[in-house]
Amino acid sequence: MTEREVVVTSDAGVHARPAMMIVKEAMKYSCEVKLIKDDVEADCKSIMSVLGLAIISGSRLIVRASGNDEAAAVASIVTMIENNFRPNESSAQKN
Amino acid sequence: MEKRIRVKNFLDDTGIIDLQIRLVAGSSGIDREIRVGDINRPGLTLAGFYDFFAYDRIQIFGLGESAFLRQLSETQKRSVLEKFFSYEVLCCIFTHDEEPDRIFLEFADMHGVPVFVTKKDTTKFTSSLVYLLNEAFAPTVTLHGTFVDVYGIGVLLIGKSGVGKSECALELVERGHRFISDDVVQIKRVDEQILMGSGSPLLKHHMEIRGLGIINVKDIFGIRSVRDRKRVELVVMMEEWDNNKQYDRLGLEETTHGILDIQVPSIMVPVRPGRNIPIIVETAALNQRLKKLGIFTARELDRNLQESLKREGIGE
Repeated sequence: MTEREVVVTSDAGVHARPAMMIVKEAMKYSCEVKLIKDDVEADCKSIMSVLGLAIISGSRLIVRASGNDEAAAVASIVTMIENNFRPNESSAQKN
Repeated sequence: MEKRIRVKNFLDDTGIIDLQIRLVAGSSGIDREIRVGDINRPGLTLAGFYDFFAYDRIQIFGLGESAFLRQLSETQKRSVLEKFFSYEVLCCIFTHDEEPDRIFLEFADMHGVPVFVTKKDTTKFTSSLVYLLNEAFAPTVTLHGTFVDVYGIGVLLIGKSGVGKSECALELVERGHRFISDDVVQIKRVDEQILMGSGSPLLKHHMEIRGLGIINVKDIFGIRSVRDRKRVELVVMMEEWDNNKQYDRLGLEETTHGILDIQVPSIMVPVRPGRNIPIIVETAALNQRLKKLGIFTARELDRNLQESLKREGIGE
């Protein structure tokens, strides 16, 4: 099991689009990925589950994964949250 | 999970049960935390017996307590209340609309002990309050799954992401069953034997279907297709068909799935393209209803079979 803590800094929190990005990222890995906020656990591969956490700016999250590619999964999701979901947000603006 | 329930929570919206209480003193203590889900009638305590005084519980002053306080002289009352409030009393509630007198309110304000008055009578109020406290203190767990009411049986579908839980629920809704929650199911142990499941208030009646995105089941299928909570009575574990695995062919043994230390009857349903899962879930729910009525099909068939084999053996 690998886990890391991360604080959400994006102003709008995790609304529909960032939630979808987290899920998409998690789906790339075969391991089980969980997102934990205030003791409530969400399945990172389920959009409803991630949305249900109601993550706002400043929320402290734990990304936890267990399985074959756990280290890579945790690293990529944590990086994405730390980068404020930027790469895709800018491409969304272009559209 | 540590829960924090404050005295003021009972003043706010308490849902379907209205406690009909109003605050008359001690507003500074309104943020106090309720740590125990029990209540206490302080009659004995007021009379001077302080052993076992459960001061950290909600104190209910009924007609008896109010009458006792009323017949005391002012000096007696002051000394009784002096002792009473020297403990860290959580809060006091007077029933029957019996507002306490000036001296009591003075002491309560001084010690920051919230005092409420309710119009209800003691028994009715106590039962409403105990119900709310039980609800608030009930152990809770959030599970990943989909929760549907099938023929009056609360069926919790669990299984890995992408196994088809939501699609199965959608088909069940289409067949006239009721949808409660998708993906996030909050389960509460409201009683030693009873688990109640509901959705997260935020995601209420929403569902995600691959290819469609997020849909609102209530808006699409109407009010008859949803409900807010239901007792969890059957767990259906869905998993991809594994050729190397032996699946139950007889159903002689009852399997269970533990949630919050309660064993819920469960079945394992292997999923394979072309396999009609909703009808299996429907039948499982009906079978569960039969079992509740004491009819255990597999065992009955087995018993009949054994009896007829025995008869043949005797040569009848």
